[in-house]
Amino acid sequence: MVESTKPRVFLVDDHELIRSGIRAEIAGSVDIIGEADEVEAAIEMIVERLPDVVLLDVHMPDGGGQAVLKGVSDANANVCFLALSVSDAASDVISVIRAGARGYLTKNISGPDLIDAIYRIAAGDVVFSPRLAGFVLDAFSTGASAVGSELPVDPELDQLTQRERQVLRLIARGYSYKDIAKELTISTKTVESHVSSVLRKLQLSSRYQLSHWATERNLN
Amino acid sequence: MEKEERMSITTSSHAVVGTPQRPLRRGRENAILGGVCGGFATRLGIKERNIRVIFSLLTLFFGFGVLLYMTFWLVLTRSGEETSIIQGLFQNRREAQVVLVAFIGTLILLIALETTGVNASHGFAWPLVLAAFAFFAVWRGTSIDERTHLGEFLNSAPIIGGVSTTNRRGIVLRVVAGIALIIIGLKTLDHIGGVWGAAAPALLGTLVLVVGLLVLLAPWWLQNVRELTSERRERVRVEERATMVAHLHDSVLQTLTLIERAAANEGDVVRLARNQERELRQWLFSPGTVTNGSTSFVGLVGAIEHDIENDYGVRVELVTVGDCVPDDNVTALVAAAREAAINAAKWSESSSISIFAEVEPKSVSIFIRDRGIGFDLDAIPADRQGIALSIRQRVAQIGGEVTIDTSVGSGTEVQLVLPRT
Repeated sequence: MVESTKPRVFLVDDHELIRSGIRAEIAGSVDIIGEADEVEAAIEMIVERLPDVVLLDVHMPDGGGQAVLKGVSDANANVCFLALSVSDAASDVISVIRAGARGYLTKNISGPDLIDAIYRIAAGDVVFSPRLAGFVLDAFSTGASAVGSELPVDPELDQLTQRERQVLRLIARGYSYKDIAKELTISTKTVESHVSSVLRKLQLSSRYQLSHWATERNLN
Repeated sequence: MEKEERMSITTSSHAVVGTPQRPLRRGRENAILGGVCGGFATRLGIKERNIRVIFSLLTLFFGFGVLLYMTFWLVLTRSGEETSIIQGLFQNRREAQVVLVAFIGTLILLIALETTGVNASHGFAWPLVLAAFAFFAVWRGTSIDERTHLGEFLNSAPIIGGVSTTNRRGIVLRVVAGIALIIIGLKTLDHIGGVWGAAAPALLGTLVLVVGLLVLLAPWWLQNVRELTSERRERVRVEERATMVAHLHDSVLQTLTLIERAAANEGDVVRLARNQERELRQWLFSPGTVTNGSTSFVGLVGAIEHDIENDYGVRVELVTVGDCVPDDNVTALVAAAREAAINAAKWSESSSISIFAEVEPKSVSIFIRDRGIGFDLDAIPADRQGIALSIRQRVAQIGGEVTIDTSVGSGTEVQLVLPRT
């Protein structure tokens, strides 16, 4: 319970400068068990070492973060990914989440916040940045009123519940999970389960609006 | 003739009168078609014009000049190149086969012409057909550089579809005049001695020649067109690159310079970096949207982010959901939000502010939150300008609602909600 509580973290980023920056910020609080600067090496080492959390850069040569996610999931390795990117473009965020990442943060996040996020991912939670929460709200709400969508809507997957919306809104307003729990008078565990269920919907929903929305948002 | 002093080791391909130059090469700068005449002129040190006259005179002898010219074209190496056309052809097995087949075809054609008796009356056909074959070989084996030269030559030649295509009237005039002259000529021949019978095979031969030339030139022409397209594409790419370079120079490079200069002042560095980051994001991920203001709700709120970060050096995390065209009420709501954000930046001592703005079908809401020191709402005199006037009163006037959630030590959140009509 003393040593083993430090999550084992693996770093994937093609920029040495960024890697060393992240390393410097988190090294004291987590156990960095390796790093890679390219897709293939990353997959190989992650499958071999099975870290608790992989900090994953989205934009890399040879397919980027998505290729790593795919490679690792093809190898049936059960690893949690936290995407970490300079980009907060909607299509990047949505696509990497749909490829299996359990959280998305931009690289300008502060050190303590990053460490906190790593611990939450390691504990099986989901990390939504305010912006990601905003994206999800936007994507699901515009889709709901979309006229002429012939695709059958699966309410289980394609719509957010009232409660989930409330939670997402509070995340977008900058509330921590603890604040949200207090605000809605529910437990932190319940907040976490709402966010997890939103993540599941985000990953499994077959609605084309999601990707459509993401690309459209980039265009205009 | 222009006199050019060249310091290069290769011999000049210009003829210098009185100075013979070795070796014998086809001319480059002084070439009209294949550069044969130019080459001889350079070699012998006489004017190109004289050689050209000699070749033209030789052509009168059953087209002998043309044949000679084509032969030289094939066997002489072009100035500045490694191999002659014929050498180049036989280095490539496929090309060699093609040319061989063409040569056999040419021989068959000649035998056919012989049997129809065309050659008997004129004697021009042999050299001309052989010259045509030679031109085919030239076309297959010539270097890209020389092809470009030939393309330019053909484009500038006074033929239909040449450079003068812009002048439609000129073309029409030329075609009409040409046809009229041909008819008159044939009529005259008819008058003189009833040569229609003999002219028929000759006409046929000419037609065959023309069709042959077309067939020969078509692939070349197509390739030309293709090269033009790819060249155009390349140009577009270069232009795009230029725009990108210009943008990076004006924005990123400038900011980096500013940062280097302001290195001593931490606040300035952060502000500059943030500013540039925001601008670059805007440019990379949502080109087209201009955050200059009044056209969209998101643009208006974005301006708050920009100004707060610039003026107070406080980081603003802005999240927007939905968008609308702002009317007066929405504009007033955003103005109130700006006031609230400025308050947070000035007094909260928090290093970052979260702004969440959402447009829903029935309402527009903006939340401004900081994790700073907070304050005791009741302890503030009711008449204090900031909150009372700028925020509460403004929002009340447009029928909106203000909730301020704060206490000492736990940060502040200002919630502004405006029902939409």
